[in-house]
Amino acid sequence: MLANDVKDAPYINLDDPAFSIRSQVVRDARANSFYARTPYGLAILRYNEVGELLRHPLLRQGSYKWPAHNRAAGLFAEWWVRMLLSRIGEDHARLRRLANPAFSPKLIATLQPQFVAIANELIDAFGKKGRCEFMSEFSEPYATRVICALLNLPHERWRELATLAADMGLALGVTYKADEPVVNKATQSMFEFSRALIEERKRNTGGDFISLLVQANSTDKDALSDQEMDDMVVLAVFGGIDTTRNQIGLAMGQFIDHPDQWTLLSENPDLARGAVEEVMRTRPTTTWVTREALEDFTYNGLEIKKGTTIHLFAESAGTDPAVFKPGFDISEPRKQHFGFGGGTHHCLGHFIARGDMTEALKLLARRVRNPRYDGDPVWLPDSGNTGPVKMNIAFDPEV
Amino acid sequence: MKLCVDLEKCKLHGQCIIAAPKLFGFRADGSLWWVETIDATQQKEADEAADVCPEQAIWIED
Repeated sequence: MLANDVKDAPYINLDDPAFSIRSQVVRDARANSFYARTPYGLAILRYNEVGELLRHPLLRQGSYKWPAHNRAAGLFAEWWVRMLLSRIGEDHARLRRLANPAFSPKLIATLQPQFVAIANELIDAFGKKGRCEFMSEFSEPYATRVICALLNLPHERWRELATLAADMGLALGVTYKADEPVVNKATQSMFEFSRALIEERKRNTGGDFISLLVQANSTDKDALSDQEMDDMVVLAVFGGIDTTRNQIGLAMGQFIDHPDQWTLLSENPDLARGAVEEVMRTRPTTTWVTREALEDFTYNGLEIKKGTTIHLFAESAGTDPAVFKPGFDISEPRKQHFGFGGGTHHCLGHFIARGDMTEALKLLARRVRNPRYDGDPVWLPDSGNTGPVKMNIAFDPEV
Repeated sequence: MKLCVDLEKCKLHGQCIIAAPKLFGFRADGSLWWVETIDATQQKEADEAADVCPEQAIWIED
């Protein structure tokens, strides 16, 4: 498509609460053009273009504009523009270098036995009943207790943390304005929690992520200021819980829709790692990530003006028929998906997310046989950050 | 020691450049350059780059 044709490009109304990232409108747009117009800038729809633009040097991470776009005010909005995802350049690199060792694959591998223990304990509670509300009885406690394991927190506090994370997460939903007081109250409680935790780790320093931050901060405040330390702890707790909770729920939904794949996984637990990738390719919780143009430039004939917001559609790229054979198949080798974003801001926690979801799926497939919906699940809007709100399932009871 | 990158796996996220800016960088055309022969003093930085690579495309050979 030529540069002067932008106004003729397909239009996608992301603002419509009924909009679905998987709708025919998006599929048709993708067949016709690599980009579409939206109420806020452009959407990129195809695999190769999303991959290139994720790491394009003339684009910056766009989420920092979220408070401005939503006329948001208060503690959450203030934290949002200060935290790692909104930082750029050397400032971002300094914080990322500091955080990286706590999320390395070697360190995450040592947590694997804890993932197994948490998953088994949760399944023990409902396995013989043959039914459960999957989100509150598995997905949410599992995702939160994994964070407890990572940060060396007492597991009894999981519910308190899960509630705070969920309330903060309302910030990213369509009803944000009505929820703003709840969001800001939860953010305040999360900061109080984080500061108390930091004080505790100053007295009992260990090898966990919080201790690593405390050590860096006490050695050199230019390397990590007090504010940056608080912000990072809040990010570690908030960022890890809601995303993983939703992604595991989406995984269960995919397998309920593809029972032959669940059987295949239960018979071949080594496919669990590939299963995580296949779920994230076809049903990512983060359906798009945003970028913003730092200057005017032309990309593949498309003129992009400085300041333009660009939505990179991870789901649409992951199911691009020009690149992927159709279908959901955990045994099929696939190209890398964009469910963890990409480039400088590639998800920091992806090794832990991959590790904990692999163990969860392995054990669920072995112990939760023949799962099906027990009533209609309740879903978040199928756009932005998505996932199940409630998912009652029935399955063959364990004997 | 030899610092190796599997360019088939590499998706040019640039995490190695953040972790080890003296050993990795992007050329003007956007492609990746890296220091191919490293000594013991550079190993820690190289290890950090290998650890952090989202695609696990970096390794060190003796």
